[in-house]
Amino acid sequence: MAQTDTFPKTQNNYSVKLPETNESGYYEMRLESIGGLGANLCGKLLGELGAVHLGLNASSFSSYGSEKRGSPVKSYIRWSEPQQEILLNSPIEKPHLLVLFHRLLSENLPVTAGVEENCTVIVNTNESPDETRDYLKLYAGTVCCIDATELASETKSRVNMVMLGAIAKASGFIPLDAVKQLVTDTLGKKYPALLQNNLDGIEIGYNKLVIKAFKPDGKHERVPYKEIKSKWGYKNAPSGGINTHFGSSVSNDLSASREGYIPLFIEEKCIHCGLCDSTCPDMVFQFIQSEVKGKKTVLNRGLDYHHCKGCLRCVEICPTEALVVGKESEHPHKKWFVRNKDLIADNIDFNVSGADPWITSESYLTEKHVDGGLM
Amino acid sequence: MEKAEQKKIFESGNELAAYAAKQINYHVMGYYPITPSTQIAEFLDQMGADGEHDIAMIPAEGEHSAAGICYGASAGGGRVFNATSANGLLYALEQLPVQSGTRLPMVLNIACRTVSGPLSIKGDHSDIMYTLNTGWIILFAESPQEVYDCNICALKIAEKVRLPAIVAFDGFFTSHQKRNCVVFSDDEDVRKFIGSTVDYAGFFDLNNPVTIGSYMNEPDILNNKYQLHNAMEEAKHLIPEVFNEYESLCGRKLSTVKSYRADDADILMFILGSSYLTVKSAVDKLRESGKKVGVFTLGVLRPFPSEEIAEICSNAKTIIALDRQDSYGAGGGNMSLEIRAALQKHKITAKVITRVYGLGGKDFYEKDAIELFETCDSDNIPDFDYIGIYPGEENLSLKPYFKPVTKEDSVLNLTTIQEENGKLTVKGGRVRETAVMPKRLAPGHSACPGCGIPVNVNLLLRGIEGNVVLLFQTGCGMVVTTGYPKTAFKVPYIHNLFQNGAATLAGLSKMYHKKQERGELPEGDITFIMVSGDGGLDIGMGSALATALRGDPLIIFEYDNGGYMNTGYQLSYSTPMGAKSSTSHLGSKSYGKEFFNKDMPQIMAATGMPYVATAAESDPNDFIKKAAKAQYYAKNYGTAYIKCLSACPLNWGDKPSTERQVISAAVNSCYFPLYEVERGCTNITYDPEKSYKKIHVTEWLKMMGRTKHLCSEKYEDITDNIQQEIDRRWKRLKIKAETPEL
Repeated sequence: MAQTDTFPKTQNNYSVKLPETNESGYYEMRLESIGGLGANLCGKLLGELGAVHLGLNASSFSSYGSEKRGSPVKSYIRWSEPQQEILLNSPIEKPHLLVLFHRLLSENLPVTAGVEENCTVIVNTNESPDETRDYLKLYAGTVCCIDATELASETKSRVNMVMLGAIAKASGFIPLDAVKQLVTDTLGKKYPALLQNNLDGIEIGYNKLVIKAFKPDGKHERVPYKEIKSKWGYKNAPSGGINTHFGSSVSNDLSASREGYIPLFIEEKCIHCGLCDSTCPDMVFQFIQSEVKGKKTVLNRGLDYHHCKGCLRCVEICPTEALVVGKESEHPHKKWFVRNKDLIADNIDFNVSGADPWITSESYLTEKHVDGGLM
Repeated sequence: MEKAEQKKIFESGNELAAYAAKQINYHVMGYYPITPSTQIAEFLDQMGADGEHDIAMIPAEGEHSAAGICYGASAGGGRVFNATSANGLLYALEQLPVQSGTRLPMVLNIACRTVSGPLSIKGDHSDIMYTLNTGWIILFAESPQEVYDCNICALKIAEKVRLPAIVAFDGFFTSHQKRNCVVFSDDEDVRKFIGSTVDYAGFFDLNNPVTIGSYMNEPDILNNKYQLHNAMEEAKHLIPEVFNEYESLCGRKLSTVKSYRADDADILMFILGSSYLTVKSAVDKLRESGKKVGVFTLGVLRPFPSEEIAEICSNAKTIIALDRQDSYGAGGGNMSLEIRAALQKHKITAKVITRVYGLGGKDFYEKDAIELFETCDSDNIPDFDYIGIYPGEENLSLKPYFKPVTKEDSVLNLTTIQEENGKLTVKGGRVRETAVMPKRLAPGHSACPGCGIPVNVNLLLRGIEGNVVLLFQTGCGMVVTTGYPKTAFKVPYIHNLFQNGAATLAGLSKMYHKKQERGELPEGDITFIMVSGDGGLDIGMGSALATALRGDPLIIFEYDNGGYMNTGYQLSYSTPMGAKSSTSHLGSKSYGKEFFNKDMPQIMAATGMPYVATAAESDPNDFIKKAAKAQYYAKNYGTAYIKCLSACPLNWGDKPSTERQVISAAVNSCYFPLYEVERGCTNITYDPEKSYKKIHVTEWLKMMGRTKHLCSEKYEDITDNIQQEIDRRWKRLKIKAETPEL
């Protein structure tokens, strides 16, 4: 449990005054991420930072669902001055700080909704603020760029630590030392061996952040925050939640679940043994019945990458190295990309990572990150 | 009373419920994990592993049993604790009047969540309202701080009036949201406030034996229930006293009814739980523009504080009662109905309108409250309605993505079976050829990268040609395939909660055959398959065994990933001994899960069902052949059962890419031997000893983050013990294989 001093003393090492608040008196942050990058933990740490180290009132919570890796996650943090109670529990619509943990997130999820001129947007990317602003189609605001993925591996730290440093810098009022103290008191106690790496990650995030402010110059439109509505409502949805649209999960594009790597298909080496299809959880491989020299056989036509989550089970199992691992950034146009062979629909409007966001509990997960070798 | 020393923390409702329980140091907690209350047991388990309390934590195989454990423990005259939500609460519901009717105090936390179906895990009040008639005291906390405070007061109240007590709060909004809070620095102050344990029944006083749970006839039951009613009446007076005493100890006041700017309000809103705070914020904003509005909420639902409600409402002209639950057909949720009754009793004539909001955790925004305050005065608004609903897109046409997978497409004769002299021979069933079998599941499901579930389900279905109907019990497999408004299934599919899948499929298959018999369905056949995780075969074991005993014509397919993964990896009975999980933490007092993995195939085989098999993705040809056999037996002889070990990279703590090797190691260590029990005869289908591949179990355990701690010298006793049990099971299996009569 996070503890401060004994009640009723209210001594904090770093007393700060919030630079600005909204009409309800809160300073608000929204973190957008993919499960597995540690945004949820980062959100909790920011809540704790406010409550324990900065002498503020704080609340922190996440979008909730079942446990899962590779799905979109939102984490929310509200801060207020200590004399003001935090009354709202609802999601944050117009954040002061918006943090994107994964560049791909912005492809067609409304992650940048609610960005106003006073908003600071921090993005994990290797691009410049100008490129990033255009890529995100941001109406206005301060754009801060940090290559957290690269810097995390450089410092043997994690993406969320680098982002934490970047957040402190971008906020303009969170002292770097307070963040370091926070991580020393929390993660440092649990995993002392990793502390120095994490502190290095924070520091590098703080120092390497590239910042540029943009006025509303008409280049991109303002996007207000909207609740997501589904097409089916009480008038047109089949009663009882019965779903008549069989196989419709095919319209989910799960590319954002990948963590930088994809299987590459070297067709000439393929012996069409079918092992890849037997190990692929995502039904990516397209095998068809065929005839070769008058003999019935099966052929592997390639991969439908829409559903590939980059687990690389197929690479591991392929007996002839017809499947090898490659960096996705080096293969933006995949020549082995074939459409799912069973589709009868002409075109599909894909949704990026359609699943619910998923966080319910972390007591085991935090542990896993350290000794499971996943992140 | 002198004020106790306190300290500030930043925690969630679940953490604070667990912290209060740790400070109280209950004797026993019986529990079964269910979102969003699970964390309470998880945090307590963590604290227990670190030696911060010595509460006996008993992981039941379902909520009904968890409630039974609690009942038995409380009959023994000690302090007992439990936590649950939603359908877990409903599954345990039968036990609640038993607990109160025999007057055994305990404390149950309910992180409120919507009741299935359709299944949803988010927060509303549809579960807690089922408890109104159970004879339990019910406190409702609006914030994490109140969860803590209520937990301490609840036990004191419960023990004083000899009734069990519920502490309820909003799932997620309160259970998971972290806030600045204050707790007692010294556990002893908490214990002193509650006082010493009172053993009412004196069950273990062997010189004065008592009988608990008599059989009663008519006048006696009436008298017994009148006693219960009187206890509730007593609680009505006692609760404010306990709250006052608590206030003098810590400075925080709990109330039966709380209100904000209600005194001179023309319009009063009633709302329960965390949204009360949201409405307070809305009230402040409207007051600034001169609108006389206020809000009230309840801190206690049982006994119902109707006098206090009447007092608050006495000057209001309009009352907007918001319900996060509906008593369908009654014109409101239970709270608004009871408030209407309270007003009538006290002759208050304010106009009352009821709105159902926020079901399934739909967020309640400040602007929703403001809009209701601003529109409730108009004459033509209905007095009952839902808010936040929408009709859906007009003229929505959904184009099909696929052809359905029927018999025509899926009978390719790639895997065929012949029976001769009572012996089955499988032809084909090879990985290469069956790669063209049409998939009954569409891609685009949201399982984690590298998940074993779709791998195993697809391997099973490769061996099963023809029409298929699937039932998934609750679990990862179900959640990741059917997230509305999409579904991954290309064949008919049904879900039921995981204590009941086998029974449901038995009914469904019976209906198919009955309708055929009556000529209401054409001839033909369908293979009925239930898919369940190992968790589903803990809580649903009874239903599965009964189905096998009856011999219903279906396949039960178990993917065993060794834990309740969908809810964040709590231990299941199939979790390997020694494995870490979020309810078997590693700590100074704990090495992980403390009992052996359940040998489900042998349990199933004991029913005498015609076909039991284990299968692993590391031997895919064998897997496909066993699937075909299961289909043949289910069609011709009775229930068939296949269990496979299914990888979970997220919670096993290993790499998604190498899971097949991990499965292979489990097979080679004989932790998961591959065999069949065909009409009572055991047949080992792969013998790692004969192929010189047998490995020590630690070779497998070290591959996973959840078990690799066991491979240090410190835990040698544990791994020796595990190896011995594996060897014992393997030896028995070999003897059975050599002896047809076994």
